[in-house]
Amino acid sequence: MKYLLLLIALVGCDADLDEPWQLDHDRIIAVRATPPRIVSGAESSIDALVGRKGARPAEEVPPAAQVVSPESLANTLRFDAGRWLVTAPDETRLAAARVELGLMPGAPVPLVVGVAFLETAFPSGIPDEPVPAIKTVWLGEAADNPVLTTEVDGVDAPTAPELVVAPLTDVPLSVATDETDDVNWLTSCGTMRDFDLPQAYLRVELEDVQAGDLAVVVRTERGGVAWRIWPIRAE
Amino acid sequence: MKILRRVVPLLMAGAGIATAQPAPEQPAPEPPAPEQPSPAPEQPSPEQPAPLDPSTPTVPVRGRVIDALGRPVRNATVTVEGTEVTVRTDRDGWFRLRAPMGSTLVVDSKAFGTALATVTGDVLDDIVLLTEAQLGETITVESEAPAAAPGAAQLDRKELQRVPGTGGDIVRALTLMPGVVNLQLPIGFSGVVIRGSSPQDSKVLIDDFEVPVLFHAIGFRAVVPPEAIAALDYIPGGFDVSMGRATSGIVALTTRAGNDKRTTQAEVSLIDGGLLAQGPAGEDTRYLFALRRSTIDLVLPSVIPDSANLSLTTVPRYYDGQLRLDHQYNKQWKLTLSSIATDDIFELFTTKNEEAKSKRFYNRTRFVRVTAAARYKHGPWSANIALSGLAQQFLFESGLYQKINIRTPTITPRFEVTRNEPKALGLKDVVWRTGAEIQSGRGSIDLALPVEQREGEVMTQPDPEDTSVKFNGAVWVTDFAAWTSLAANFDPRVRVTAGVRTEYYVRPNEFSLQPRAEVAVKVADHWKVRLSAGAFRRPPEYNSEFLSKTADSERSQQNIIGLQYEPRDGARVQASAYYTDRSHLITRNMDGSLGNNGRGKTTGAELLATYRGGPWFAWLSYSYSHSTRIDRPGEDSRLFDFDQPHSMNAAVSWQRGRWQLGGRFQLYSGLPNTPITGSVLDSDANFYIPVPDRVNSDRAPIHHQLDLRVDFNWKAGPIAMTAFLDVQNVYMNESIVAYFYSYDYSQRAAFKSLPIIPSIGLRGIF
Repeated sequence: MKYLLLLIALVGCDADLDEPWQLDHDRIIAVRATPPRIVSGAESSIDALVGRKGARPAEEVPPAAQVVSPESLANTLRFDAGRWLVTAPDETRLAAARVELGLMPGAPVPLVVGVAFLETAFPSGIPDEPVPAIKTVWLGEAADNPVLTTEVDGVDAPTAPELVVAPLTDVPLSVATDETDDVNWLTSCGTMRDFDLPQAYLRVELEDVQAGDLAVVVRTERGGVAWRIWPIRAE
Repeated sequence: MKILRRVVPLLMAGAGIATAQPAPEQPAPEPPAPEQPSPAPEQPSPEQPAPLDPSTPTVPVRGRVIDALGRPVRNATVTVEGTEVTVRTDRDGWFRLRAPMGSTLVVDSKAFGTALATVTGDVLDDIVLLTEAQLGETITVESEAPAAAPGAAQLDRKELQRVPGTGGDIVRALTLMPGVVNLQLPIGFSGVVIRGSSPQDSKVLIDDFEVPVLFHAIGFRAVVPPEAIAALDYIPGGFDVSMGRATSGIVALTTRAGNDKRTTQAEVSLIDGGLLAQGPAGEDTRYLFALRRSTIDLVLPSVIPDSANLSLTTVPRYYDGQLRLDHQYNKQWKLTLSSIATDDIFELFTTKNEEAKSKRFYNRTRFVRVTAAARYKHGPWSANIALSGLAQQFLFESGLYQKINIRTPTITPRFEVTRNEPKALGLKDVVWRTGAEIQSGRGSIDLALPVEQREGEVMTQPDPEDTSVKFNGAVWVTDFAAWTSLAANFDPRVRVTAGVRTEYYVRPNEFSLQPRAEVAVKVADHWKVRLSAGAFRRPPEYNSEFLSKTADSERSQQNIIGLQYEPRDGARVQASAYYTDRSHLITRNMDGSLGNNGRGKTTGAELLATYRGGPWFAWLSYSYSHSTRIDRPGEDSRLFDFDQPHSMNAAVSWQRGRWQLGGRFQLYSGLPNTPITGSVLDSDANFYIPVPDRVNSDRAPIHHQLDLRVDFNWKAGPIAMTAFLDVQNVYMNESIVAYFYSYDYSQRAAFKSLPIIPSIGLRGIF
């Protein structure tokens, strides 16, 4: 079956399917917990980067969320002042959760949170189907989301009002990461090459959409998530 | 050698009620049979028989003499042994004479060896004459050849090479056979899907021993070139006790002994090119050597557009080679050394950046099997002793984390003894066989992979970081097998074969007893009915089963009825119906481990009609099959992954002078698939988990295509040249092979068959 998959991978690009780097597509791109790991008593807020066909990607607070696992920590999630917040319980409850999940004593406890954006239509044709996603917040230890250092066309590219790139040119994109980090470059303007590598290329052909957005999402092994979005135009 | 020749007709008749038989001792004549003489053949023999002793009662007898390819042998002499009664065969191979019941007919022809046949009725089964070279190679099969089962067939190399759409590849011609699942592209599995079973449920044997792969990874070619194959036996079920470790069917290739004339052959096409050399090496030794290399890898880089974000650092390519030495040690002993080796490799980056290891795919699959065999034949006894060694490696690396490197050297000693008795215990044509085999291998495994997707499970998007299954160590796999069987004619029209096979699998510590039996009845002159039933096992040795400590062998119970009708010369129709009950199928338990909780059943019917006459060769096959599975007790029945209800092949080929033209029409059902209704994003893994509908509740549309082939032969000095053009799917019907989904399962697209596949080749023999 591996050869079938490989063949599909090689020729599948001709099919009329949206590529993983296509921003102009209905989906939850990433869910972020800030911070991703918290000690007892600390709080983490949940938000997401959402893509919608025909609209700009946006950071949003999901309208619905709930704890998927473990059940004993269901009440650690609450909606407060327009934000979903997870509060790490005390060590006694964490110890009980470790027993529930079969974890070693002292191990961080994964709190799996499910989020949904009810107003987004599922593109398969099932109307009003929610687009669910899950995000794990680790309880019992502390860690932060990564800080991104990015370059576009060889120039530092912090968040900017708009990027302007030359058409018909391979525009190098770069983000500093660790080897184990997961990288996704996305765009709604042009074609992305090596979208899942730290060094990628953007090329805007004349027949492509000449303006849209460029985004990069980095995930770390420890659950950290960071993203950056730029409006982009080719001229 | 004379003794060897005498048993060959039995082997080639293969139908169980063969009238051609080994005859070390001249059987005593019997009283005349009560049957009425059959009508005379359309073209009687031109010669009249010499008078017999008038005191000996005789019956009119007719029969046909053919060669190993099923073609009539004209002008062969047929003599009633011990008399002067001799006739010659006509242009269609037919002869007619009067002979005593039970007497022996000696059949001879200049171009062939001698064959014997016993008169058991008014119409004899076909008598097969073999060349000296064929005698040398075929006699070795005598004690090992599977008893023909209902629906089984031996594929003729030269005829099937005429079939369009196979690229001249005899193993690909297997898709002609009823019961074989057809797919536009033979990818995704390296075995053969027979009668609603998984590929691993059937075994592919080369010179009686299993080989790990049948196809090369690219080019859709078998690992053995057609010119190195003597015969291909297709046994879709009900195989005899000498074969095992399979719950469905057997595909057995016999490599070819070298000719008694030295020849060299070269062939090149867009897929591959190769050399084959054969001939005598001394008086009693013959050799055959073949080497082949892919050429598609030379073409591939030029057809991949620059815009493709690919880097083929090692262009997919393959080698394969065969060596066979045959030595006639003395009248009783014949020695054979055969070897087959293949090596497939490719490396690619799905990016132009060759430093991006996360985008790298690397695969190397290679094996070499060496078999030394000694065959003995003396009087009623024959024996086959063989020792076969296999060294194989499968190496696959994907991205930064996923890999599998498995090396499995295996050694297999095997022996079988056969005794033939024309008469024993009041029965006729008694054949007793017994044998044993040990297969022992040590798998050195280093793997880090996702959980294997098993049959019936939903195919997910690959997660390059998923290494849920890790193992680094060695696994010993040793299986013992022993068998015995007895076959005899209870009546000139009824032959019964019964046997039992025992197997012991050391790793799961499992012993099995597998009884099998077959009854063949000649119900009328042109009609035969065969009934077969038996128990079969497959040890848990496929992929992840290797590492499982909870899986035992899978089982099947097969019941087959077959009917064979030969209405006229060169025409044959055979039909069969079967029911296979499968139990202890290895499926995943709720905790993720493997267990034997699956059940399944397959029902089907098959039809095969062939015609060989003059310049024409025609083939029609159709199969109906319905195959279901239940993964765990209490769960609903579902369709099997490779369930293909309908499959039809119609082929015709015409040969005249230098030209050979052929066409083939295929029509078959698409395979089932499981629709995905939604997905859940695991944001940390950046991976979408599919939400499937009912397993295999959807099916790809029916596929049909027309293939054409033209061959042209000419002489260029001492070289006999052949050029061929084989075009598959000439009217470019792009039907759906499978569906695949976007990364988030929100969109579905069809993976379609290639619109047209031309294959051009050139062959020279000198």
